[in-house]
Amino acid sequence: MILPAVLYVLALVGFPFCLSIYLALSDAKIASSTYAFVGLDNIRSALESPTFVKALGNTLIFTVVSQALVLVLGKILATCLAKPFFGKSIFRFLILLPWVAPISLGTIGWKWMLDSLYSPVNWVLQALHIIGKDTWPMWFGERNLAMASVIAVHVWRLLPFATVIILAGLTSIPREVNEAAEVDGAGFWSRELHIVLPLLRPILTVAGLFGIIFAFTDMTVIYVLTRGGPAQATQVLASLAFFTGILGGDLAGGAAISLFLFPVLVVVAVVMLQIARRTEVT
Amino acid sequence: MADSRTSHLTRRTFLKGTGVATAAAVSPTVIVRAARAKSDTLKIGQWTHFVPAFDEWFDKKYCPEWGAKNGVKVVVDHISVNDLRARAAAEVSAKKGHDLFGFLDPPPAYENVVLPMNDVVTECEKKYGKLAGLAQHATFNPKTKKYFAVSDNWVPDPLHYRKDVWGEVGMKPDTWEHVREGSRKIKEKTGMPAGFGISQELDTNMMLRALLWSYGAQEQDESSTKVMINSKATVEAIKLMTAIYKESMTAEVFTWDPSSNNRFFVSGKGHVIQNAISAIRTMEKQNPEAAKKAGLALPAAGPAKRMASEHLLHCYVVWQFAENPETAKKFVVDLIGSYNDAFLASEFYNFPSFSKSVSDLKGKLAADKVNPEEYAILGDFEKYSAYPGYPGHTTAAMDEVFNTFVVPDMFARVAKGEQSAEDSAKQAEADMKRIFAKWNK
Repeated sequence: MILPAVLYVLALVGFPFCLSIYLALSDAKIASSTYAFVGLDNIRSALESPTFVKALGNTLIFTVVSQALVLVLGKILATCLAKPFFGKSIFRFLILLPWVAPISLGTIGWKWMLDSLYSPVNWVLQALHIIGKDTWPMWFGERNLAMASVIAVHVWRLLPFATVIILAGLTSIPREVNEAAEVDGAGFWSRELHIVLPLLRPILTVAGLFGIIFAFTDMTVIYVLTRGGPAQATQVLASLAFFTGILGGDLAGGAAISLFLFPVLVVVAVVMLQIARRTEVT
Repeated sequence: MADSRTSHLTRRTFLKGTGVATAAAVSPTVIVRAARAKSDTLKIGQWTHFVPAFDEWFDKKYCPEWGAKNGVKVVVDHISVNDLRARAAAEVSAKKGHDLFGFLDPPPAYENVVLPMNDVVTECEKKYGKLAGLAQHATFNPKTKKYFAVSDNWVPDPLHYRKDVWGEVGMKPDTWEHVREGSRKIKEKTGMPAGFGISQELDTNMMLRALLWSYGAQEQDESSTKVMINSKATVEAIKLMTAIYKESMTAEVFTWDPSSNNRFFVSGKGHVIQNAISAIRTMEKQNPEAAKKAGLALPAAGPAKRMASEHLLHCYVVWQFAENPETAKKFVVDLIGSYNDAFLASEFYNFPSFSKSVSDLKGKLAADKVNPEEYAILGDFEKYSAYPGYPGHTTAAMDEVFNTFVVPDMFARVAKGEQSAEDSAKQAEADMKRIFAKWNK
């Protein structure tokens, strides 16, 4: 019964993973036909590179901040969508759009929205007098603004996914539990903190786990918006691995960089699955 | 070179046919491969040209006519500038793709998977004159004596400037010091910024190398083995660009992609950029009044010399796994032979890599219908232009240095105030040495 699943995991996860370990320990180049074993040379070379250290830090910031925002905003949005209101189905459809649209197309749209010359976002901010007439933020040109921009676009993309998962969790909470608490005089915040969030923890864990994996391994948003700039301020491990391995031709170097994603993801997965198991709702 | 029109049964085709028949009996895989080898389609993958008229000519006139003449269907896939390298890597990984693949910068890292183009270069030199020095150094590996690509064209990278605005401050961007001084004055007087990219993209890679060379700096030695980026000249060049950024530019230069500086200049926002002539050509079409005020200039001179980088060096490779390698090579030879038309179709963007493949180049430039005076200066550009890896050859190590943007990052760190020019040059040296060590094992 589980053979198809095992084959699927072996073919699409096991084989590429083993291949990347093999490449990382070799001197593989983009056009090499034979590879020699070089031990940990590529790992050592990556660790010696200041760009790698910067990319590692950026990856952590990008992942932690974007996931915190996704979970908080996803919970707020799901709470709103759980209530009955006029046009709810259309609203739900619109919220899902960023998730169903191809990521590269959506990101190119944001690239133009935040363009240095023709940004409609800046234009609107000026028209609303939120920024001065002589102020024109360079969203991808300043270190902090660039990181904030890539995080914001990533949150925009992942928010529907988290919202749908949390919404499913909210609807699975028995209505009687909330009603009983209400009868006992519990207010909104009290119910949220003592009933809803504890019951939602397993589902939030799942949303968080997926979100962290998406954020940690994604390079599309950064590649399209900033290509890691300015001055590597938004370079993350996934994009650095691409630049080194594919554009630079150093396959082994790129594979070594990408392997650094693995231990972090394993730890995150184990920790979150343990939390989920402990708080499982029966 | 084989003529794909040959229809007689030769000894070669007979042996090939019987061989294929025998092999087909043994393995179904061979049947597929044999069928591919008989394909009558030539597949070309190359960039989407910045001058749309060139693609119009290439796709709708040249390729169909050449295909009809040679009994081959020519299919052209256009790939965006930023995706060319990734597409090439995917084709090599799959060992399947186009017969002819056009790169915008030389790809020595792919030498092991491409056919030597020495025969094409020899034939073209015989027919169309000597291969330009910059194209030769960028596509030839002196160790293996192999041309891993053949360049049909290279693209000059002149300064574009607003003559009216520079006139107001009584200057011309003749040297890098003039560029700095003039830009500062213009910013003070009119608020208009200068536009030299300090970003992880192709145009920045080229422009900043030109600045380094004009200051006497170089990334490697002539033997292409020793890293030489950490020098006093490099530090001075970084300081100059940092000063231009602080005095006359905005943070947008850190965000640019290859088309951003074109938009910056064409929109009328900026007064100086270094770019291929696609910027001024676009301006002529979209903003003719502003185009009358725009001028082209030789590359700015530095303390050491006046130098530019080629803006692009277009070169074709034929993969070892190409289905129609001989037809692909013939196509390149014939295309180079048609460069009079290609040069005109590109509106002077594509400069010929073979000296005689365009007749009376200077005369054609001086006869431009819109702005002959400006385009005439391009006639001497070859003597100022170099290539990634100058004064050595473009090697695989240099290819990685180029495509991982070591030089733009070196400038960006200082302009952003993260490092001193000295420390940034040291870091670039360490980055380059690490890359060279990997490739030179």
